[in-house]
Amino acid sequence: MMQSQIPRAVALSPAVLALEGVSKAFGPVVAVKPLSLTIPRHQVVGLIGENGAGKSTLLKMLTGVHLVDQGKMMLNGREVRFRGPLDATAQGVGIVHQEQSLFTNLSVAENIVMGAGRSGSQAVKGGLYRWSTVRAEAAEVLARIGSRISPDTLVGDLSFAERQMVEIARTIHLACQTAAAQGGAPLVILDEPTSVLEQAETEVLEAEIARLRAIGSVIFVSHRLEEVLRICDRTVVMRDGEIVADRLTSEVTEADLYRLMIGKDRHARSREAVPLAQGAPVLRTRALGKTAAFRDIDIALYPRRITAIVGTFGAGREALIRTLFGIDDPDSGTIELDGTPVTDWTPRRAIAAGLAYLPAERGVESSVGGLSAARNLTTVPFGDMAGWLLSPARRKALAAAWFDKLDIRPRLPGQPLERFSGGNQQKVMLAKWLTLGPRVLLLDHPLRGLDPGAGANVNACIRAACAEGAAVLLLADTLEEALDLGHEIIVMRDGAISARFDMAEDDPTTLDLLEKMV
Amino acid sequence: MALAVPEFLGGGGPSIIAQQATPILLVALGQCVVLQIGSIDLSNAATGLFACILAALTLGPLGVASPVLCLAVVTAIGVINGLILVYTQIPSFALTLGTLGVMQAASLVVTGSNVVYVMDNMAVVAWLFTVQVATLPVAFLIAVALAVVLWAFLRFTVPGQGLAAVGYNERAAALSGQPVRALKVLAFGLSGFFAGLAGLCVISIAGAASSIGLGSDLLVPSIAAALVGGTAITGGACNPLNVVFGALFVALIPVGSAAVGVDPQAQSIVYGAVLIVAVAATMSRSRHGIVK
Repeated sequence: MMQSQIPRAVALSPAVLALEGVSKAFGPVVAVKPLSLTIPRHQVVGLIGENGAGKSTLLKMLTGVHLVDQGKMMLNGREVRFRGPLDATAQGVGIVHQEQSLFTNLSVAENIVMGAGRSGSQAVKGGLYRWSTVRAEAAEVLARIGSRISPDTLVGDLSFAERQMVEIARTIHLACQTAAAQGGAPLVILDEPTSVLEQAETEVLEAEIARLRAIGSVIFVSHRLEEVLRICDRTVVMRDGEIVADRLTSEVTEADLYRLMIGKDRHARSREAVPLAQGAPVLRTRALGKTAAFRDIDIALYPRRITAIVGTFGAGREALIRTLFGIDDPDSGTIELDGTPVTDWTPRRAIAAGLAYLPAERGVESSVGGLSAARNLTTVPFGDMAGWLLSPARRKALAAAWFDKLDIRPRLPGQPLERFSGGNQQKVMLAKWLTLGPRVLLLDHPLRGLDPGAGANVNACIRAACAEGAAVLLLADTLEEALDLGHEIIVMRDGAISARFDMAEDDPTTLDLLEKMV
Repeated sequence: MALAVPEFLGGGGPSIIAQQATPILLVALGQCVVLQIGSIDLSNAATGLFACILAALTLGPLGVASPVLCLAVVTAIGVINGLILVYTQIPSFALTLGTLGVMQAASLVVTGSNVVYVMDNMAVVAWLFTVQVATLPVAFLIAVALAVVLWAFLRFTVPGQGLAAVGYNERAAALSGQPVRALKVLAFGLSGFFAGLAGLCVISIAGAASSIGLGSDLLVPSIAAALVGGTAITGGACNPLNVVFGALFVALIPVGSAAVGVDPQAQSIVYGAVLIVAVAATMSRSRHGIVK
């Protein structure tokens, strides 16, 4: 078949992509150290690495979102320097994101043709849409990737996997045009396309990727290593902004890849004694379940203890923490507060009971950008902020105290929150809850989007809050973070708890945790 | 204005403008609270006119109790608007467009399409515009005082800050434990209440009410006043003190254009054009690149 006709990993014509010493730094933080990478035609390359390994920064450079600091980027033998995402697309690099960017109220054909630009489509003549051409062009593109989706279907009526196909079709359509115009092959980047797909849908996608290989080259980013092994010809592993391994997939095992990703398999860093689970838990769940999210969850949160939950994307951690805060309702089981089952659990009741929740999507669910940082600190109308009157003097004093305590910079509490850096915004959000002296802190990826320095700062704040008596539930971004912060570590896999480690007795390594995650 | 027609200032101009501006300001104050949460209330001016008609009908028999009844009824109408909004999730634009129709029809039905004259006890409301302080009607001064109170409410109280939080980021406000539903009902209740005050002013000025008479065209000027006052239609940014100037400006346009001799038939052109320029100059755009 296709594979036998096309020699893998052999570059006859110029490589689709060649990077030479490409690097990127954000201020003092080096996200990608100078690295070189060559992707020949007709090759599917897996790109793996933990969160913060530099994958996304590399992808953003490839797609023109970030400018390259240093180094050379060659596309089909020509040196390129992207001025922006549109420029990258125009040069033949297409990316399909996990979050979809289709117009659900338009048809498949419109979605595919719309982004194609003037050169790519004959559908617009004299400013008018010619519908037959739109349909014909879209049908041709869909046929090329072997999809049987009708061009006339509304995107909103498609399943998630089908939409993913449309995204891919659109991206390929774009990438192929320019690549063909310049006599090269397109590069298509699939950024975690399978993390939201069902098994059957994933198989369809795999077939698509096999067809893509005949057209151009693919970079496949995934956290599911068994897929990377199955789909890719070659696997590139990133860690700490570097490429630490570049192997033919046929020569490695899943365990090899994990080891390469994590680097040195390590235990928790040495630290103070782990506080014991004393007395009664503040919050506990009994056989808590929610359809298609998690099931049979029994956890107990004790004062002065950090419980970290680790798991892959889709393990159900996020849904669980939102259920605990009363945002979503469970389908079965109970949440108990001080031994009493709660009823009609809503965020307001949860807050009144002493719970606090730091959402992962800071801009969408947590910060009120237009209000000043000081006002954001007082937006929870409970505790000291309950009642009717807001005293500007008290707010000022409160803000000054917490700005000092968490070292929030710059010390301008009156400035609109959106003008602070991400790390400082996150500290304000944390302070907002800490002013209430919460009994339970639910932290949903508190370090997301923060650079390492800011992250260490926020972690110190979390430890301090815990030492002052809060029970903390932490959804950590990385296993190291969980190991270093957690007093108890719970591993979730496919919605159920697959392992528990009490850090007072056990001393698991990152690899031990991973084994239970996948 | 004063430069073009010097006698404007001396000839009772400020007093006329203040009188015209008062009902506009009161409706606009209610509107700006609703705009503050990112919604809009298209029905409040019609609700105000309904209050006016209700007052015309009940002042005679009820006397002092009549204004109280009117305010209670229209506040309740606002609250009902808010409750429907909160529990059905109908966009406020569509919902209040419906209420607008209902209130207009209710006004027609209650009056039987006639002009209703206040038969007795006119003194209960007449003082609003007959008593003057420094040539300005006392009703205007009361409205300005209410604007200050509203400003303080939005700035120095917990629910006031909650309204801003809802306007800027409703989801974050909900997850911060703000009683989002109650705040929305509050906003619409206030909108009804202020519209009721506007209705009382109209009856005080006119002494009669009808579904097409004075006070039936307050909706557009009041929204314009709120916008000229810098209120963001996307929510979160609103300063009632600026709305006072917005209302004065909006009231000034027809009076002013008549005074400088614009053809009455062309006045709407001037009105519309000046309004667009004024809103463009004063609108708060800092936060939202996209304005719908």
